[in-house]
Amino acid sequence: MFVARHIAADHKDLIHDVSFDFHGRRMATCSSDQSVKVWDKSESGDWHCTASWKTHSGSVWRVTWAHPEFGQVLASCSFDRTAAVWEEIVGESNDKLRGQSHWVKRTTLVDSRTSVTDVKFAPKHMGLMLATCSADGIVRIYEAPDVMNLSQWSLQHEISCKLSCSCISWNPSSSRAHSPMIAVGSDDSSPNAMAKVQIFEYNENTRKYTKAETLMTVTDPVHDIAFAPNLGRSFHILAIATKDVRIFTLKPVRKELTSSGGPTKFEIHIVAQFDNHNSQVWRVSWNITGTVLASSGDDGCVRLWKANYMDNWKCTGILKGNGSPVNGNSQQGNSNPSLGSNIPNLQNSLNGSSSGRKHS
Amino acid sequence: MSGTKPDILWAPHQVDRFVVCDSELSLYHVESTVNSELKAGSLRLSEDSAATLLSINSDTPYMKCVAWYLNYDPECLLAVGQANGRVVLTSLGQDHNSKFKDLIGKEFVPKHARQCNTLAWNPLDSNWLAAGLDKHRADFSVLIWDICSKYTPDIVPMEKVRLSAGETETTLLVTKPLYELGQNDACLSLCWLPRDQKLLLAGMHRNLAIFDLRNTSQKMFVNTKAVQGVTVDPYFHDRVASFYEGQVAIWDLRKFEKPVLTLTEQPKPLTKVAWCPTRTGLLATLTRDSNIIRLYDMQHTPTPIGDETEPTIIERSVQPCDNYIASFAWHPTSQNRMIVVTPNRTMSDFTVFERISLAWSPITSLMWACGRHLYECAEEENDNSLEKDIATKMRLRALSRYGLDTEQVWRNHILAGNEDPQLKSLWYTLHFMKQYTEDMDQKSPGNKGSLVYAGIKSIVKSSLGMVESSRHNWSSLDKQSDIQNLNEERILALQLCGWIKKGMDVDVGPFLNSLVQEGEWERAAAVALFNLDIRRAIQILNEGASSEKGDLNLNVVAMALSGYTDEKNSLWREMCSTLRLQLNNPYLCVMFAFLTSETGSYDGVLYENKVAVRDRVAFACKFLSDSQLNRYIEKLTNEMKEAGNLEGILLTGLTKDGVDLMESYVDRTGDVQTASYCMLQGSPLDVLKDERVQYWIENYRNLLDAWRFWHKRAEFDIHRSKLDPSSKPLAQVFVSCNFCGKSISYSCSTVPHQGRGFSQYGVSGSPTKSKVTSCPGCRKPLPRCALCLINMGTPVSSCPGGSKSDEKVDLSKDKKLAQFNNWFTWCHNCRHGGHAGHMLSWFRDHAECPVSACTCKCMQLDTTGNLVPAETVQP
Repeated sequence: MFVARHIAADHKDLIHDVSFDFHGRRMATCSSDQSVKVWDKSESGDWHCTASWKTHSGSVWRVTWAHPEFGQVLASCSFDRTAAVWEEIVGESNDKLRGQSHWVKRTTLVDSRTSVTDVKFAPKHMGLMLATCSADGIVRIYEAPDVMNLSQWSLQHEISCKLSCSCISWNPSSSRAHSPMIAVGSDDSSPNAMAKVQIFEYNENTRKYTKAETLMTVTDPVHDIAFAPNLGRSFHILAIATKDVRIFTLKPVRKELTSSGGPTKFEIHIVAQFDNHNSQVWRVSWNITGTVLASSGDDGCVRLWKANYMDNWKCTGILKGNGSPVNGNSQQGNSNPSLGSNIPNLQNSLNGSSSGRKHS
Repeated sequence: MSGTKPDILWAPHQVDRFVVCDSELSLYHVESTVNSELKAGSLRLSEDSAATLLSINSDTPYMKCVAWYLNYDPECLLAVGQANGRVVLTSLGQDHNSKFKDLIGKEFVPKHARQCNTLAWNPLDSNWLAAGLDKHRADFSVLIWDICSKYTPDIVPMEKVRLSAGETETTLLVTKPLYELGQNDACLSLCWLPRDQKLLLAGMHRNLAIFDLRNTSQKMFVNTKAVQGVTVDPYFHDRVASFYEGQVAIWDLRKFEKPVLTLTEQPKPLTKVAWCPTRTGLLATLTRDSNIIRLYDMQHTPTPIGDETEPTIIERSVQPCDNYIASFAWHPTSQNRMIVVTPNRTMSDFTVFERISLAWSPITSLMWACGRHLYECAEEENDNSLEKDIATKMRLRALSRYGLDTEQVWRNHILAGNEDPQLKSLWYTLHFMKQYTEDMDQKSPGNKGSLVYAGIKSIVKSSLGMVESSRHNWSSLDKQSDIQNLNEERILALQLCGWIKKGMDVDVGPFLNSLVQEGEWERAAAVALFNLDIRRAIQILNEGASSEKGDLNLNVVAMALSGYTDEKNSLWREMCSTLRLQLNNPYLCVMFAFLTSETGSYDGVLYENKVAVRDRVAFACKFLSDSQLNRYIEKLTNEMKEAGNLEGILLTGLTKDGVDLMESYVDRTGDVQTASYCMLQGSPLDVLKDERVQYWIENYRNLLDAWRFWHKRAEFDIHRSKLDPSSKPLAQVFVSCNFCGKSISYSCSTVPHQGRGFSQYGVSGSPTKSKVTSCPGCRKPLPRCALCLINMGTPVSSCPGGSKSDEKVDLSKDKKLAQFNNWFTWCHNCRHGGHAGHMLSWFRDHAECPVSACTCKCMQLDTTGNLVPAETVQP
């Protein structure tokens, strides 16, 4: 089903993150070599590195694109305790380096006292906002009040999570029915079994982020967390990379039923849990419709997960990290009924649908 | 080394060889088995490698530790430390004529016999071998031997010489070490520091000591319990790891006072700690009785000066095999590869994978980074083995103009790929709804038109008068059934179900014919039967059996059908009601259910979920009384809503109920495309105003934008604005005259806009009397085009008159719409501009603005503006 193609990345150390822009025509990578590279896709589908520059004085953990309506803007975060915002400049004299673009640092966010482990732009409808999280357990939300001036960012919120943070994800929903929401994962590995995923929601009245939910069942270190693109669904889907792949759904309880002003209540269900990686799961990523999840694990494999119409999630593909296909022996995970597919679910009440008949 | 617990070592230079040592030394050769079969006698190490035993050496009993000679040697020269403290040089080679011949068998004997704990070859002076021994009174515990020393010095104590058996062997015995260190102490571990060949780090009893061979009287030391397994980071020569019990300490030799960090304690005592030789800062640790190797990825070199931060450590565990691991060894050159050995000497070869980060692109391709490499993985276009994801489906459907056929609405399901029965049902429903709404409007304008889109549930509810049932004769059968008299509403419902066509004609004949044509024999037969025409049903089944695609068994069914008897206790009835459940085809099943049912009880038909909703609803309209019908429809509607089954749109129509149903459908599938187009098909405004509907539309538009299907998005917006005029965006740019300040625009509704940085402006309605190149307000000339130096303007339009009412004239009707080349365009940055055509041709060859001395790179300012819409690239 899938074929993998190698691209010469030319980073001098481990690549920690890959990120696509809104249109999927540009890509940014960041690495332990302290640099960020920007790649552009040619019409023939090949990727060309059009910029590569030193961004930090430590490993760069994550890189992320802002929506193109704010311009060509990147944010990066690093072990050097900072996050930075970059903007592409055109029109400067760079004739010597034809085909190369020029990126300038617009700001450095220096509030963290420890390594900044993740950085994410908020969904476009919230304006130009940026969230960072750091190993000291604080999520910081910055805003550029003037989208024309990217050198001014004000620290709007500081949310203390009490645990070393490893990853954040904004809820991408732009529905007015859903308040801004951010999920935070922690990779704290101390043996005390505390919940490692917290979800904060913006409260219009108090103008603060307050804790809406804690996923009590996730007690192992969390390495990555990702809300699925909402795509008009009435609930949110959250994927978590911990010692296994987990998929949760969060269905907001209709507002009129809850007391107004308080945080939204959610019906939370775990819809899938897969230990096929047999080891720590490192990253999770959703496709544009939130219908296919890709995960990577310490087994060196990339796996794809997809739900069928009954909302049973299954593995639909395995690839080795080096792009080679997984041969027959180890592909058993594909056919074995997995744990996740047996978990009944809220959406699963399709007890009386007619199917398969043709109509005139 | 105890006999039960094997250790394992890779050859430092012959990278396809390794040695397993327990009571004997076994040399193995590793081969890849990717392209070949497993050879006889070789052991499988992993999916793609196997080992063959080359030789066994059991010359050296009581082995405690082994170290591989660091220089290249074809003969696998090894130093073995023994339980009596002697160090023996031995070989696993077969060739005895090598230059190392003299060395093999050489023994280095300490003054007092005690266990040899550790051996370390000097990495720079390859002849130096350090041995760490247990404590013996005040004797030295660290002895450094020169393996090339050929003589036994004179001062050898006499008893030593007597111990050795015979004159010939004395040349092989060396008793005088080069250096003696660590007096009155025990040495547990040793390693040479790569900084200087004369520096030796030793894990002594309760302290770590650095001996400088240039001045053996002095040593640097730090008191610690972590004295076992000292090992220096091959990539960062000041970083050293050592362990004690379950704890690993990392030291920086530049500030040796205390460990720069200690790793989280493990419950069991550690047995081995080793830096990865192929990657910076990767430390592997192994504990006793464990099948897990823990890896610590130290991303940063600790900075000792003025910085108290610890390096970030990514902790990982890997499980190379199911059994406990006795020992492991990193491959000296293959990246992140190691080999492990279990107590029963099974070995496995595996590679520790780098952590992979990944990202989906908006178009269905997946990019991931593994180590320093990037991989892109795209779904193969022509692969039909798996059902496509909805993201792919929506993309393809958008390209095929799905949802935009507003005349033959049913055709949209064909545009969608003609693969989904629910979509088929939906678009036929919408087709009928549109058709009958137009019908109604023609008959009595403003009357019931909107009711059609409200679905059968509302239609049935709206029927006021009681419907009398009457007995109808079965054609060609001596039987009567209660059939409801069809009032207007029920006829409309049947029409929406597709059973009967337009007009008051209630004949199902045309419908049956079309079913037969499509080869849906069973369904056609069932519909005929429900219309009390058993002969036609049998005829249809016969037809089906004789057709090419048909099933011969249909004849059998026809036979069974023809045996129909009305008698209550007949054998036919008894057999049919039991055997019908075994029929695979739901329509055949419901036919017999219908025939064997008690009068007025049709549950066997109504609740057969595999029968299409429209057929069940039509059946209900024909046979159920008003109250029954209402209850049935209500129940079915709720079922459909819950399941998000699009067939249910027939019942709910495009009402709030319909939105509820669509919500479950979107929740289930993510198909906002269908949801958006469906709701834009003829929904009354209040449904369109529903937040959820607006949200689907917004999400769909966002998808189209992300895919760069801008033309499709624009088409969608046009389609949408027909139904929802409020969605039309306001004019985005106005141009005012330099002189009078008035807008030079005569048409404000259709100013095109594109991206950031560039705007075009087209004027079509110029007043009849003013020149196109001048302001309609003050008649002063408009700016000149930077290229042709002619005043810009607009071609004369055919717009009649100049009155205000013309401002809202729809431009699409304007025959002489300004050509794009004539459009007025300028750069937002430098404010230079000209005719669009001229500008485009200029920037095809130039990067800078055509105005002299202006260096603005107008065309490159906006990256998004340079993106090509994906539609033109797509096949």
